[in-house]
Amino acid sequence: MTIENDSPAVLRDNVEVAAALGRRYEAGFVTDIETDSLPPGLSEDIVRKLSALKGEPEWMTEWRLKAYRHWLTMPTPHWAKLNIAPIDFQAISYYASPKNRPKSLDEVDPKLLEAYDKLGVPLHERAKLAGVAVDAVFDSVSVGTTFRKELAEVGVIFCSMSEAIREYPELVQKYLGSVVPTGDNYFAALNSAVFSDGSFVFIPKGVRCPMELSTYFRINAGHTGQFERTLIIAEDGAYVSYLEGCTAPMRDENQLHAAVVELVALEKAQIKYSTVQNWYPGDEEGRGGIYNFVTKRGDCRGDDSKISWTQVETGSAITWKYPSCVLRGDRSVGEFYSVALTHHRQQADTGTKMIHIGKGTKSKIVSKGISAGRSSNSYRGLVKVEKGAEGARNYTQCDSLLIGKKCGAHTFPYMEVKNPTAIVEHEATTSKISDDQLFYCRSRGIGEEDAVSMIVDGFCKQVFRELPMEFAVEAKKLLEISLEGAVG
Amino acid sequence: MSQSPAPLPFIEGLRDASSLRLPGSGHAWLDTARRENLEAFVAAGLPDTRAEAWKYTALRALGQRRFALGDAGAAKHAVDPHALVLPGVDGPRLVFVNGVFRADLSRLDALPVGLTLQPLSQVLEQDPEALRFALSRHYRETSDVFARLNAALSGDGVVLRVAAGARIGKPVQLCFVGAPAQSELAWHARNVIELGEGSELNLVEHHLSTTQNKHLGTLVSDIAVHDGAQLQHVLLQNTADDSTLIRRSSLHLGAKSHATLYALELGGALARHDLHAELRGNEARFDTRGVFVLRGRQHVDTQLSIRHQALNTASESIWRGVADERARGVFRGAIVVAQGADGSDASLSNKNLLLSTLAEIDTKPELEIYADEVKAAHGATVGQLDERAMFYLRSRGLPYTEARALLTAAFCRAVFASLPNETLRDYFSDAVIARLP
Repeated sequence: MTIENDSPAVLRDNVEVAAALGRRYEAGFVTDIETDSLPPGLSEDIVRKLSALKGEPEWMTEWRLKAYRHWLTMPTPHWAKLNIAPIDFQAISYYASPKNRPKSLDEVDPKLLEAYDKLGVPLHERAKLAGVAVDAVFDSVSVGTTFRKELAEVGVIFCSMSEAIREYPELVQKYLGSVVPTGDNYFAALNSAVFSDGSFVFIPKGVRCPMELSTYFRINAGHTGQFERTLIIAEDGAYVSYLEGCTAPMRDENQLHAAVVELVALEKAQIKYSTVQNWYPGDEEGRGGIYNFVTKRGDCRGDDSKISWTQVETGSAITWKYPSCVLRGDRSVGEFYSVALTHHRQQADTGTKMIHIGKGTKSKIVSKGISAGRSSNSYRGLVKVEKGAEGARNYTQCDSLLIGKKCGAHTFPYMEVKNPTAIVEHEATTSKISDDQLFYCRSRGIGEEDAVSMIVDGFCKQVFRELPMEFAVEAKKLLEISLEGAVG
Repeated sequence: MSQSPAPLPFIEGLRDASSLRLPGSGHAWLDTARRENLEAFVAAGLPDTRAEAWKYTALRALGQRRFALGDAGAAKHAVDPHALVLPGVDGPRLVFVNGVFRADLSRLDALPVGLTLQPLSQVLEQDPEALRFALSRHYRETSDVFARLNAALSGDGVVLRVAAGARIGKPVQLCFVGAPAQSELAWHARNVIELGEGSELNLVEHHLSTTQNKHLGTLVSDIAVHDGAQLQHVLLQNTADDSTLIRRSSLHLGAKSHATLYALELGGALARHDLHAELRGNEARFDTRGVFVLRGRQHVDTQLSIRHQALNTASESIWRGVADERARGVFRGAIVVAQGADGSDASLSNKNLLLSTLAEIDTKPELEIYADEVKAAHGATVGQLDERAMFYLRSRGLPYTEARALLTAAFCRAVFASLPNETLRDYFSDAVIARLP
């Protein structure tokens, strides 16, 4: 039994029910839909079949094969502070798609729509009210993208990656893999070989995207992995704000999610990328849950460009994720705001990289980690100032909050500075919710759980402020739900 | 792990090491420990920069060099005794030249009551059994490769014991001197230091060279500070600019004990110090203050790790770095608070000045926290001198270089403000200024 929770509208409708059943992962339902999937296993053959199934051109197949061959030569990385059981890549099915492929949104299987409805993702008329354009990815394929006509009027391309490969091959060829090369790291190489779908966004010169763009990822079928690929390009002076949300059903097995997100910001362009990650985290004993290995990187190619990452990470059994900015253009700006919450036996190793290459580049990192239960939560970050980055500036702040005696909170910041005019600053603190704070709240008649969630909310405020309003409300609620049972 | 087909010259140079006769040879357990450590070192080779502990310190160049096994003439090198004198340090002294004990330079007469101070070579010849535990250790971490080599080849060093309750007033000075020899050589020294319950000791560790040399020195120190004992450890590293010095110090602190380390790193082409402290007893406290001032192509790497594993323990670390010309300064400051170590209070600050476009600073403060009743914080910065302060000084007629030296010295000086030995404090200050451009 489950309840939907992810959009504020739905949230409001269901507050009472949610309160009653709140201690559950609320997106954990399975939608009974016929799926087409490839048999489990990974080989060149599977990569070819996958590419053929998607009707991809030859160059794309070759690109995938190159990545696959490279992946075979790479060792699994072990540097993260994560305890991961070996992953059997042959037991995973690399492609699952709902059987009745819709031609347009109106033909989308009602069961699917219902599933997104439960999640609170506005795919239809509700979308109009919410004013957010959505690309919904169900298992391996995109099932619908809303508001395409409105966006096309201003020249914005927003579609699934599969479509982009067919319709805009020259753009895809130019930018795909230019930020995260196929052999960048183990999981990025795997993704490059087998990615099934994802979103493609292109904002032409000087256009300010008229609405928030959003992708909703959902893993539904069992024994599958989800490998999506997102590519966002903002041409000179363009602006876009992009939201990403994720959920999966509750299952005993661990499912693999290995995504790659590439952002390209040309001169004076701005990209704001927000994520609320709520993959199934596993149960109290750590059974099941998503293994989330994500490579996200933004390239500030043009002068005066800006890329801002905001993430709220509450889900996944394992999170391995380092949204980064390559500050190539002079005076370009990179930002990273993160709240990562782990509970029960979740493990997160997340942070960012800021690579200062251009002159006068600036970066800011605000990371808030909350660990509860028996979880482990690490911040791992790199600030690198190259020789030519005259006057580069970085400020990093990492705070950890511990709730309980059996959890761990760790900070691993790397600073490499090669320019004498750069200023790099890092500060970190670790503490628990103080008895004084709790006592103060309780003496004013606030229950313990409410007090904790108030304090946590205050702790995360700096990050929530960066989220678009609807997402901020959702994120706050998500933290509350995730923390239930953490105290007392 | 490096697995080049042809063995590295460095490893090649160790071919005859197993037949080397070292002090204590003939004791079965010691021979076994030495042999096993040597085999382990040769089998593993030198780690590359993919190993986290050596990420910023490449050993490739070192691997291409071949060092002679010890120095047969170490007992005869002329060393000016005045070079060993540090102002404000006038207690007992133990001197090692190229890793070999020199009675003629040492000062071991009239040792205060409660202090036992002997060269390791002597103890090994007389009664090595007492050191069995310390010397038969195996090192498994990648960061400890040189400790393995040291365990295999060290035959001298310091054995120091302070009896329970004894308060040693005068500072004890340990000098490690590099002197030119026939060829580039490697020396290995081993210290075992123990402070009995409630005792007090001031220790001054001094690394220096008579003239330029390209030796490799390794030093492994085990320091046990028992319940209620107090240790003040001053470390002045001013070895030859072309030499390589690799040290590993490990401290164990008992209940209510307090150790303070003051480190000034000035010399060496490659100087590495792995400093591990374990706060094992309740209310133990460990404070560190350190400065490195680098120029030329110097590479200095300090790896500090402090482990809080008892109740109400505290640590405070303040480190400053200055890198000029083509120098590279590396710092890692890791604080671990183990499960159950409630009431721990840990702070670390690492500030660095980068003075040249070819210099580099790599710093990595780390926190690993497994307990919730803790206060832990760290901060690190890399930057340059305050422009306004520079302007102020220059507007008052100070030439650029002088203004820069003054501000840099002030930046470093704060670290040693709490050093009780005033004469030594001033000496440190002058030594810093002397290193500045």
